[in-house]
Amino acid sequence: MMPETSAYYHLAYTIALGIYGGYGLSLYLRRKRVRAK
Amino acid sequence: MKISWLPTIAGAAVLGTVIRAAFFTPLEAKQGAAQKIFYIHVPSAWVAFLAFFLVAVASGVYLWIRDPRLDRFAESSAEVGVVFTTVVLITGPLWAKPIWGTYWAWWDVRLVSTLFLWFIYVSYIVLRGAVESPALRARYSAVLGILGALLIPFIHLSVYLFATMHPMPIVGKPSAPSLPNEMLVTLLLSLASFTLLYFAFVRSRYRYAGERDAAAAKRET
Repeated sequence: MMPETSAYYHLAYTIALGIYGGYGLSLYLRRKRVRAK
Repeated sequence: MKISWLPTIAGAAVLGTVIRAAFFTPLEAKQGAAQKIFYIHVPSAWVAFLAFFLVAVASGVYLWIRDPRLDRFAESSAEVGVVFTTVVLITGPLWAKPIWGTYWAWWDVRLVSTLFLWFIYVSYIVLRGAVESPALRARYSAVLGILGALLIPFIHLSVYLFATMHPMPIVGKPSAPSLPNEMLVTLLLSLASFTLLYFAFVRSRYRYAGERDAAAAKRET
């Protein structure tokens, strides 16, 4: 029988996409801030 | 608003890969859904190694020709590499728990050496913030950037050299990949899209570093 492991999979994808999205957003904001100076 | 094409294409490619992995790639019989972590864990590790390898190359050439653009590239690639390694270090334990029964094993050389790699490049970023002189900062961090990358072949070969819970390579090995075709295609698409994301991040981070340095030079004059 196939084990029920989907909670780990959903959590891993959510965290990974959150980190990449968050980093992309931080790059955008940092560039915006340095241009404003 | 001006559209920046590389981040848009990279973001769409990553999203497409995630959709393919989630809805159009079969479940593995023994591991169930947790095996799908493979499609973000392995490409993130590949990109982290690529990022740190390029830090070492740029740093080596910087020490030779002292072009500040190479220092800026190394700085950018190191930061992006740390982001990808962070994802590796979080998704790995989340995959390990349901399959190996534990989030972490200190005796597993690949796990611990990947954590060391993360510490080295976090130290690299801290070092850059601590040294005020641009020339000294670039020189010190170039040396650390080169030394840190020496861990990469060790991490890759650790599964052959030591007892570890990590499996032997199923794709990056001399013989043919041991994966069903549908899973292999998803993995290859994932490798390509995450590599594209790396270049999008590095380009943006490199431009930020250039604008920041130009603003600092303007303030000084």
